[in-house]
Amino acid sequence: MTDNPNKNSKYLCPYCSTQYQTFDDLKTHILKDHKNEPIPAPEGMIAMTINGGSYSLRAEPELTLYDLIHDRLGLIGSKQFCDRGACGSCTVIMEGRAILSCMALAVECDGKQIETIEGIAEAEHPLIESYAKHHAMQCGYCTPGFVVTAKALIDKNPAPADNEIREALAGNLCRCGTYPQHPVAILEAAVEKRKFPEGKKRSLKPTEDADKLSFEAVKQDALDKLKGGE
Amino acid sequence: MGSEEQTRMEEMFDNLRADKYPLKEYTYIGKRIPRRIDGVVKAAGQAVYTMDVQLPGMLHMRFLTSPYPHAKIKNMDTGKAEKLPGVRTVLRYDDPEIPEFAPISGHTPTADEPPLPRIAHFQGEEVGAAVAADTETIAEQALTLIKTDWEERPFNLDTEAAPLQDTAIANLEMYPDSNHINEGLLDVLELGDVEKGFAEADKIFEFKSFRRLHTWVGPERPCGVIKWNGDCIEAWVKQQRPHIAKRVISKWFGGIPMNQIQVHCLSQGASFGGWSQTNWNMGGHYCAAVIARRTGRPVKWTFNRREDFYGGSMDEGAYFYKVGAKEDGTITAVWGDSILSNQIYPVFNPLKHLVENTRIPNIYCKHKVVMINKGPTVPTRCEQNSAAHAFTMIFDHVAGELGLDPTEVALKNDGADGHDMDWLNQQKAKRGFEVRDSLRECVEKGKAAIGWDEKWHPPGEKKLANGRMHGLGFTWTHEWDDSAGSSEMAIRIERNDGTATILGMGCDNGVDAESSYCQVAADELGMRLEDVHYNPQFDPGYFRMTPDSSTNMSINGFAVRHAARILKKKILEVATTPVGKSQRGEFPPAFPDAGPEELNIKDSVIFLKADPEKKMPLSELVGASFNSGPLVDPEALGVRTPFTVPLFAFGYHTQTGTYQPNQPRPRFCRQGHFMEVEVDTDTGQIIVTRVVNTNDVGKVINRASCEGQQYGGTYMGVGRGISEEVIYDPVTGVMLNGNLLDYKIATILDSGPIDTILIESGMGYGPYGVVGIGEDIATLIPTLLGPAVYNAIGVRINDFPITPDKILTALGKV
Amino acid sequence: MKRFVHINAKTVEEAVSCLNRYGGKGSLIAGGTDLLGKMKDMILPNYPEALINLKTIPGLDYIDEKDGLFTIGALTRLQDIADHPALKDRCYALAEAARRTASPHLREMGTLAGNICQDIRCWYYRNENNRFPCLRKGGGRCYAIDGDNRYHSIFGGSVKKGCYAVHPSDTAPALIALNAKIITSKRSIKAEDFFKVGVKTTTILDSDEIVTGIQIRKPENGSKSAFLKFAIRKSIDFPLVNAAACISSAGGKVTAARICLNAVYVKPYRAVKAEDAIIGKAITEENAAAAGEAAVVEADPLPHNAYMVQIAKTLVIRTLLACRE
Ligand SMILES: Cc1cc2nc3c(=O)[nH]c(=O)nc-3n(C[C@@H](O)[C@@H](O)[C@H](O)COP(=O)(O)OP(=O)(O)OC[C@H]3O[C@@H](n4cnc5c(N)ncnc54)[C@H](O)[C@@H]3O)c2cc1C
Ligand code: SF4
Ligand code: FES
Ligand code: FES
Repeated sequence: MTDNPNKNSKYLCPYCSTQYQTFDDLKTHILKDHKNEPIPAPEGMIAMTINGGSYSLRAEPELTLYDLIHDRLGLIGSKQFCDRGACGSCTVIMEGRAILSCMALAVECDGKQIETIEGIAEAEHPLIESYAKHHAMQCGYCTPGFVVTAKALIDKNPAPADNEIREALAGNLCRCGTYPQHPVAILEAAVEKRKFPEGKKRSLKPTEDADKLSFEAVKQDALDKLKGGE
Repeated sequence: MGSEEQTRMEEMFDNLRADKYPLKEYTYIGKRIPRRIDGVVKAAGQAVYTMDVQLPGMLHMRFLTSPYPHAKIKNMDTGKAEKLPGVRTVLRYDDPEIPEFAPISGHTPTADEPPLPRIAHFQGEEVGAAVAADTETIAEQALTLIKTDWEERPFNLDTEAAPLQDTAIANLEMYPDSNHINEGLLDVLELGDVEKGFAEADKIFEFKSFRRLHTWVGPERPCGVIKWNGDCIEAWVKQQRPHIAKRVISKWFGGIPMNQIQVHCLSQGASFGGWSQTNWNMGGHYCAAVIARRTGRPVKWTFNRREDFYGGSMDEGAYFYKVGAKEDGTITAVWGDSILSNQIYPVFNPLKHLVENTRIPNIYCKHKVVMINKGPTVPTRCEQNSAAHAFTMIFDHVAGELGLDPTEVALKNDGADGHDMDWLNQQKAKRGFEVRDSLRECVEKGKAAIGWDEKWHPPGEKKLANGRMHGLGFTWTHEWDDSAGSSEMAIRIERNDGTATILGMGCDNGVDAESSYCQVAADELGMRLEDVHYNPQFDPGYFRMTPDSSTNMSINGFAVRHAARILKKKILEVATTPVGKSQRGEFPPAFPDAGPEELNIKDSVIFLKADPEKKMPLSELVGASFNSGPLVDPEALGVRTPFTVPLFAFGYHTQTGTYQPNQPRPRFCRQGHFMEVEVDTDTGQIIVTRVVNTNDVGKVINRASCEGQQYGGTYMGVGRGISEEVIYDPVTGVMLNGNLLDYKIATILDSGPIDTILIESGMGYGPYGVVGIGEDIATLIPTLLGPAVYNAIGVRINDFPITPDKILTALGKV
Repeated sequence: MKRFVHINAKTVEEAVSCLNRYGGKGSLIAGGTDLLGKMKDMILPNYPEALINLKTIPGLDYIDEKDGLFTIGALTRLQDIADHPALKDRCYALAEAARRTASPHLREMGTLAGNICQDIRCWYYRNENNRFPCLRKGGGRCYAIDGDNRYHSIFGGSVKKGCYAVHPSDTAPALIALNAKIITSKRSIKAEDFFKVGVKTTTILDSDEIVTGIQIRKPENGSKSAFLKFAIRKSIDFPLVNAAACISSAGGKVTAARICLNAVYVKPYRAVKAEDAIIGKAITEENAAAAGEAAVVEADPLPHNAYMVQIAKTLVIRTLLACRE
């Protein structure tokens, strides 16, 4: 750490950050209080599981989780729209919760399980196909944030009602105003997910008959299936 | 080259009449396509935006911004900033490589601006210095270390007061004498004789309206990357006009040959015109180019979220009206005046739609453009915001004053250029269109969808069981694809599998135009949709029409269609013409005994019309590439195989459009919008419970994309109507809400269900009779809140956005 | 953001000692949704030199119900409060306030303690790069008085009578209406005594004091609570006005009432006059309207915010009606 403001207290305990004036004091303290603990990670190093893979990373305190995954790891699907917690486009799933990576410090995600849009796509989640099919996007900048939010919702609530979907998306801003196209895409994906819990390989070419894709029909169909417990 | 299509191509220039050459049958055009072309990439988070670009050794550049609304830099000390570890360069306004003016506009190549100005004309403007550092954080920290000595100047923020004598001059450099900048330039609109019109009226009334500043809010912030490769320059641009970027860059540093400029126009986090159209749009790139050359490193410049609140929409200001009408709703005269702020170029007169769209014979309107110390106003999801605003205000006031149903008033006054529907219908017929009553179709369908006849009531009379007041509103205008534009596009058939690639760089701002062009090409070529692909980010050396002016399809559609038709002809010629004449003889064609006109293509297979069993897939016709080259070896494996010449064709189109001088082209397609609201009269809250959009788009190409524009336009419009406002501190001129919490764009919960109705009258001037849809809805919906709220509470609120304080004040509850 | 030292506290004591060690230059971080926004915008003249992370302290994230007492850990996320069946049932105002706070994502991150300890949202105070060094930052003047004060206090100011920034919390009025106690590392404080306006402070907490939990005595049978929020947009936005009420009734008459407004004054505003007006009466439209009037008799709005008086009055009326048996 470059500019530790506590210049006069030199010896910081690596386990609990208590400070000691002399090295000997620190040593006594460690032997007494932390004798049986494993050696702490070097300062600034954190460990995370991202999309099932384990990572050991260096993170300065001021680095946000967004900075880490987008800038450092190149997981560019997380997008920064507002940078202040007001838009949801940087959403990732941490320990099952849809959270905002721009408002989380990377160092505070030490030891956590994180899922990003990349992981969701890799797992062949039906949301990807249903979003493409229902044109639930325009410029696409906010879209991954919606998909991640929707994934967290479907995980918790495999058969969400229309209004539950709208409530869950209420923290995602879309400047292009694609909102009405999301619930239908999510409804259909929820049904698919229940049919194929492990995910279904997406074909490279769409096979759907174009004429069948009436917005209302699909929506009704998905609603019926959800209601009917199918 | 098919000379017949060539002739048609030229004939279509300045297209002033119906498309003479539509297809007989559509396989993909007009349909829902099973997957939008960029759908998976965007949903999976794989789409790359300029903000995502990282290059080895890349520096990050940020600009100093002005803390004052009007100030000049007297002195600047950048010493401390330069010494901060990680800072590579501090570029100053007085740097020898920073000219006073340079071509840096992203919109037109003609307007020169200071790349790094010394004087700020609005708070938050990028001025004086740019820092390039190893990280964005270091660059930002360095900015705080720059010591600037400012000469603060008097400023003005009030549009209405701006032209008055003793108001501070907003821009002493460009307009030293007055804030009123457009005297004699597009400042008056006149038709007929208003005095005569008022004399004929049964009722005359006057009123005033305001539109407060709102802005674009691009989800991706303004940014760009510059990299030098020797003397060649590579630029990643976030803007709508990559061809302008290229042309502008070619003028820098004494001139850079066009063929040494490589532009990348990646996926765009939408800009709605907006940032893309500002005169300083390429200023960041200019400074980055200087630093990149100096440091030998690629440089990425960015604005932060606050800095994207750089300017706003062109309708900010005050509007004054005097309207005369007969008892039956026939409008006889409209007089208007307006004061609008900071337009980068004076645009349309606010009463322009009355001329284009109605039979009102007498119109007069003044249009003052004034300078104030806020950012530039540019087309923001359209420059016709002011015209749409005035149009809605006038029509709804007429209905209200006369106690008439607004849909009736609309139908009564429909027409164009002061002429009635008979005249307009003659124009339709004269230009080869089927004569349809577009507005009536919109009104009938829309009324049925929203249940107008059951629900319509006089203003302020319907209280719902939940205690709220119920309101219905209606507005309308024409569909527009307004301006001049041109396009060059090509199609190439790929070796090995015979798939088609569309070529032509263009900005993909999300409207899914790319899928639409594939639909056109597939239908025209007789190919399967999945065999046609288009990536507009690739620069093949030519450009398609920019996605502005709602003119995407109506210009590029022609270019792709021409290319496809020429290509199809070429394919069929190649299939029937012997190739490869050499001393060893010639190779027979795929269909040796047929002429091109005897063949056709369907589902990517060429076949003999008379005997469809005689067929050959396109993939077979083009053949496979061979070991050491793209063409198959004619004597491969000892067998003499046919081979084909490269299959490639280009099309182009140029159109003068309506808003060019001397090109009168009446519009025939109309749109109508219906809104249902509930107003809580104790809190002033507006709840938009339902919206119905009816758009006569002439012909639907890409259905989901059209609906997307209706949904998106409605949400953006609702936000603009109820909450979007850029707010400045009146005392210091500092912007108070430049973030996405305090500047309130609509969330998913802020509108009720939206019905999207598309009407296809075929009366557009584009290919197949299309007309644009992209800008209209977001432009009309904001002011529609006015009529809906009026119908609910019976009191007029002519000040937009309509926030709770205005409702409560109007109701006398404050 | 500027560089700072980051410390993962493992116990409350350790966090307290860190606060002491950094003597006013250390800042606690819970969900971070308020604090990081302030740091990103660089609104303050000085930066926390150390952030002390509370999330690493085990046992502060829980909702517990024992002997008629709800105890909620300081780190409990707002979403968990909103979803908690017993809280929804017995402390409806709090669950509803949590449900209406910010956005779904922010509720998954923001903590209850962070919500009541959050800083003000005045747009002068929050302007980037400390553009307005106002009273609340130790500066010499308030910029809102002469400026745009459409979202400021309607009940007068504080800090040398100058600051008009409202307290923005959604859960605070619910906690006050439910007569909650804030448990800290040092003491237990009645919710309504918890808020205090000072330079750089919004609570009475000492500089080395940490909120560890919140206690609410389960409202007796026959009492009901409600919370209503009015904001510009239906999600994300802070309240323009919110109101919570907890009403006990017997025999069709109100026997006890606690009504609290927020976002209308520099602290949560307990509407004592409205309480007096409704106690002993039945909750009818008429009586509720009278209580609503009483709630705002002391209103003294600024030039741009008089409309908030009407909204405050309406919310008081409606929360009361929502508490009708
Ligand atoms: C876009 C946006 C919208 C929002 N909308 C709303 C809204 O509608 N309503 C609303 O009420 N809030 C809103 N908020 C504020 C939101 O930050 C809080 O609701 C949230 O609960 C704060 O909790 P936190 O844990 O994230 O706080 P933090 O940011 O971690 O902390 C906030 C402050 O409290 C202090 N603190 C935290 N925990 C303790 C503790 N245990 N003891 C002592 N001090 C402590 C911190 O030092 C810090 O100063 C919004 C925020 C954003 C960014
Ligand atoms: S209201 Fe308070 S926080 Fe806002 S400027 Fe005035 S003193 Fe500062
Ligand atoms: S970028 Fe994180 S919430 Fe907007
Ligand atoms: S698709 Fe453009 S912001 Fe949502």
